[in-house]
Amino acid sequence: MSAEVVSRITAPLTAERAEAMSQRMIKKHHVAIMLLHWFNATVWLTELLTGGALISSPRFRVAPYWYIALVDGFFGTRSHLLEFHITVGLIWMVVFGVYGIFGFRTYLAREVIEKEVALDKDDWRWLWIRLRLIFKRTNESLPPQGVYNAGQKLFAGLVYAMVPLIMLSGLVMAFHLVSTSLVQWAIVIHFAAVGMVFSGLMIHVYMGAVFPEEKPAFFSMITGMVNELYAYRHHFKWWQEVKMHEQAWKREVVEGTGNEVPDPALEWPLGTDSPPPVARPVPRPGPTLHRVFRDPQPWPPYIAGFGLGLTLLATFLIMGQGLGASGGFTRYLVAVLAWISPRYVAAHDYWSQYAQPGQSPLLDFLVFELIGVVLGGLISGWLAGRVRIAVDKGPRISKGTRYLMALAGGTLMGFGARLARGCTSGLALSGGAVLSAGAWVFMLAVFAAGFTGAYFVRRYWL
Amino acid sequence: MIAPFAASFSAFAYFAIAVVLGLFFGFFLERAGFSSARKLTAQFYLKDWAVLKVMFTAIVVAMLGLVYFSLMGWLNMGQVYIPATFLWPQLAGGLLLGAGFIVGGY
Repeated sequence: MSAEVVSRITAPLTAERAEAMSQRMIKKHHVAIMLLHWFNATVWLTELLTGGALISSPRFRVAPYWYIALVDGFFGTRSHLLEFHITVGLIWMVVFGVYGIFGFRTYLAREVIEKEVALDKDDWRWLWIRLRLIFKRTNESLPPQGVYNAGQKLFAGLVYAMVPLIMLSGLVMAFHLVSTSLVQWAIVIHFAAVGMVFSGLMIHVYMGAVFPEEKPAFFSMITGMVNELYAYRHHFKWWQEVKMHEQAWKREVVEGTGNEVPDPALEWPLGTDSPPPVARPVPRPGPTLHRVFRDPQPWPPYIAGFGLGLTLLATFLIMGQGLGASGGFTRYLVAVLAWISPRYVAAHDYWSQYAQPGQSPLLDFLVFELIGVVLGGLISGWLAGRVRIAVDKGPRISKGTRYLMALAGGTLMGFGARLARGCTSGLALSGGAVLSAGAWVFMLAVFAAGFTGAYFVRRYWL
Repeated sequence: MIAPFAASFSAFAYFAIAVVLGLFFGFFLERAGFSSARKLTAQFYLKDWAVLKVMFTAIVVAMLGLVYFSLMGWLNMGQVYIPATFLWPQLAGGLLLGAGFIVGGY
């Protein structure tokens, strides 16, 4: 098949057609990929610049002494420089971790790797001819390439292999994991793996930023688009795939309308009767993680409850106390009161418990836990597409009524929670799990009042 | 080392872990659908049992975990905070909070 495609690609385009193609843009990169690319570029630049200065051993030194002294001076001390290098590295890992988990099917699924990283027969031939072209040993034309050419694939393969090594060895070095001998090995691996990527990076940057023929590739990393002529010439197999999609889409749209007008722009360039045999676009596999986290429906209650239970258990094991809410809000209030009038708080029987002299009422587990609650809820809601600004109310009442109810209900809850020394989270849930008698009394009272009260306010909710 | 570990943390680690635990807490509450007042109050009209199911699943899981860890000697239950009982205030507080819950929706 490859020979046939080669002959097809070498056939000349008409001038008008080439002109039209150079005007039409097609999408190459998703914005998430572009962001990741430039984030990655920034991290690599930073880490290479600081890492180079960190290697001061005369045997392995890669940077001149004046540069090491300069960077040292810039950061004040070597330990600051090291901390900075490690922090940037950790941020890098977290970002890649997030991409890896939530974008698994887009970046890491087997089909994607096979298509975008692994080299096929055309790719090996391409490399061989490309190599001989450099030395002007051949005038063969290059075999067609997919969305990434063989050179890009080789670089991607190198990066995919080396990045986990760099991350792991970096972690071992930064936190002195396991044993001294492992740390020593990690230093060598870190250095060697970075060196490997660096050698590829030189070509990558040269190709992207300097090599004139690849200019559209560089701009596609900023705009996400390439012109069709470039795609046709440099990534023929990918271009075919895009056209297949377009035609399939066209067919779907005009189907049954009776006016199936063939668009001349979509015809195959060389007058073949049927589209060339291209493998059908790979259906991406059912990504369980993705489906689970992006599902707009809430999780089944027993699953969510299990997760909540594990979180509560972890909190008891780590902190020696359970999760809570109202106690944290009380501390926020006391902090505001103490800011307005410290004397009033100090003299007050109840508030003064929360404000020991010389210590902020905000230095408490619950205060920080509540920050996490807001973030965690936001993350979950955002992933599921549930984040919106709305007034959540029954169908028969106005927004104003709902606000008044919220205020009245909140006042009752706040008073009740302080009277009982806890709320649904801090007392009923956490106290319930450690079998506090008062917590169970409280919980039953909450549900008793809730079920009874529901009858009286049914007009507001149903 | 026996749980709870809180005393052995630096202040920074302690508060960072607090944020992380809160993150999971908020995440699972939202996952359960508890960001919706209508879903929460539907429990009291017996239309949606998620509140009771989630709450009691969580209590049972945490409770069994605590029993297991303490039986294995990995947890010193003596250092775990157990809310003291004040019968009448907690009964009254519970009634007020329950009434506030169905009126206010959370």
